[in-house]
Amino acid sequence: MNDNIMDDNSSYMEEGLPEDNRGVAVPEGLRSLFDKLLASPKVRKVIIRTSVITGGLLAFLLLAAFVLYIVPGMQEVVSGHRPKLLSDPELKEDKNYKKQISALSGEVQRLSRKYASYTSGQSYIVINTTDNKFFLYRNKELIRTGLCSSGSYTMLKTEGERKWIFKTPKGKYRIQGKITSPVWRKPDWAFVEEGLPIPSATHPSRYEYGVLGDYALSIGDGYLIHGTLYKRFLGMPVTHGCIRLNDEDLEAIYNTLAVGSKVYIF
Amino acid sequence: MENNIEQAPGKNRQTGPVIITVILIFFTIMSLMAPGKKLKEIRLKFGPEETSENQPDERLYSDSAYMALLKERSFLQARTSMAETDSVYMTLNLSDSTANLEISGVTVHSVKISSFRFSGILKRTDDYAISSMLAQPMNITGDLATIKKEPLMVKMAPKDTSEFKPDVIPDTSNYEPVNYILEMDNGIRIYVYQTTDTLKSNNRRRFYFDLRDRLSTAWQYAKSAAVFKVPEYHPFIKIRLPKADAKIIYRALPRKGQVAVYM
Repeated sequence: MNDNIMDDNSSYMEEGLPEDNRGVAVPEGLRSLFDKLLASPKVRKVIIRTSVITGGLLAFLLLAAFVLYIVPGMQEVVSGHRPKLLSDPELKEDKNYKKQISALSGEVQRLSRKYASYTSGQSYIVINTTDNKFFLYRNKELIRTGLCSSGSYTMLKTEGERKWIFKTPKGKYRIQGKITSPVWRKPDWAFVEEGLPIPSATHPSRYEYGVLGDYALSIGDGYLIHGTLYKRFLGMPVTHGCIRLNDEDLEAIYNTLAVGSKVYIF
Repeated sequence: MENNIEQAPGKNRQTGPVIITVILIFFTIMSLMAPGKKLKEIRLKFGPEETSENQPDERLYSDSAYMALLKERSFLQARTSMAETDSVYMTLNLSDSTANLEISGVTVHSVKISSFRFSGILKRTDDYAISSMLAQPMNITGDLATIKKEPLMVKMAPKDTSEFKPDVIPDTSNYEPVNYILEMDNGIRIYVYQTTDTLKSNNRRRFYFDLRDRLSTAWQYAKSAAVFKVPEYHPFIKIRLPKADAKIIYRALPRKGQVAVYM
């Protein structure tokens, strides 16, 4: 039975080859090895199994591609019909049409004016906390830009229940106060962070001089725009939530912004 | 009898592919019905109100000048509404390919969109209902991203001064690929991908990120189809931005932030 199959295969192979290449394409030794391998039921089983697995995998991949890529693509083709917009001269003469267009146009103008009015001509500052950069504007024009430092996104935890997250708040704020030669009143976390016992609220160790630079601008909730001793960290997120600047930038900002000026933090 | 026994495996072999094909056809039909269902829902909710006194002139909705003004008004309405808050919000102007971060009407960050594409049903911007839908700010209800929204580092407080260690310089290297999906309350999904990266590993991670989303969508579709329910279709807007800008936008937007789109 097996011999018959071998014979059949060899004659098929020879017939399939061009005349010049008969017996040349597959060396004799290799051919006999193939024939022997094919004759073995074990090898046949392996070949069949491999084919089934490969076929199954291919079918699975095709199925997955169909479900994950082709069907969503078909959805877009089906729903992508775009009706044509017209410009009908007859409609344009219609009284009702003119009325509708006029009303809509008026509303668009009103909304545009309203929206433009949000950007005031007053000075304001924009702070980018991802790149740690600031942008100072006066009369809607950028007059100064530079590096700053913002919140480090560190969560300080004690073994007890207390925890603090050092991040700069985002959104619109206003300058609520301006101070020269500010003194830092250290909050509890400043002691906890260094492993020191927390002193009473009025203890002299709470007050530190000369660490906030020459000026500080308050934006509320204890957050300040101030100077720093750690100028090498400017451009990095290292603060406890305040915004740190170098001395020159701080002075320029202090002189440009008034109490009530807007601070945009993102 | 013997013949019957021999034929059985053959029959089973044929039944399997037939069942798979039937399921596949059913899944495909249900999936193809989904965008139509969504459009119907949008039209029902945002379409022109028809009352006995107010019969809208259908011709208006195919007039280019009217629809252009309507689109502009919708965008301005959405932006004005968002400007009333003090939060950061995003505006996508696909007409001039810009993505802006704004706070109270002030543009604080602007970026050119490298490329974009959006769902077939959103291409019907000549549709009154779609324009009306976009007149309301979209609220972010969830997101999926390859980067953290807030890269929090937990630090345990030292017990005493002997345990105190000064902070090390933070690692500001920018190695993570930036891709994210913002899910909106009206069902729209905004996909933000960083522009093509030369790093093969980043491209591979984007592929897996995308695959994860497709698998999740397919699973939702399959679950709906299994109970003979047309699945919920999520129209999409896919944009590509430079990596740094994509990161800035993701980190700046609040978890429940707002977005307005002009197409």
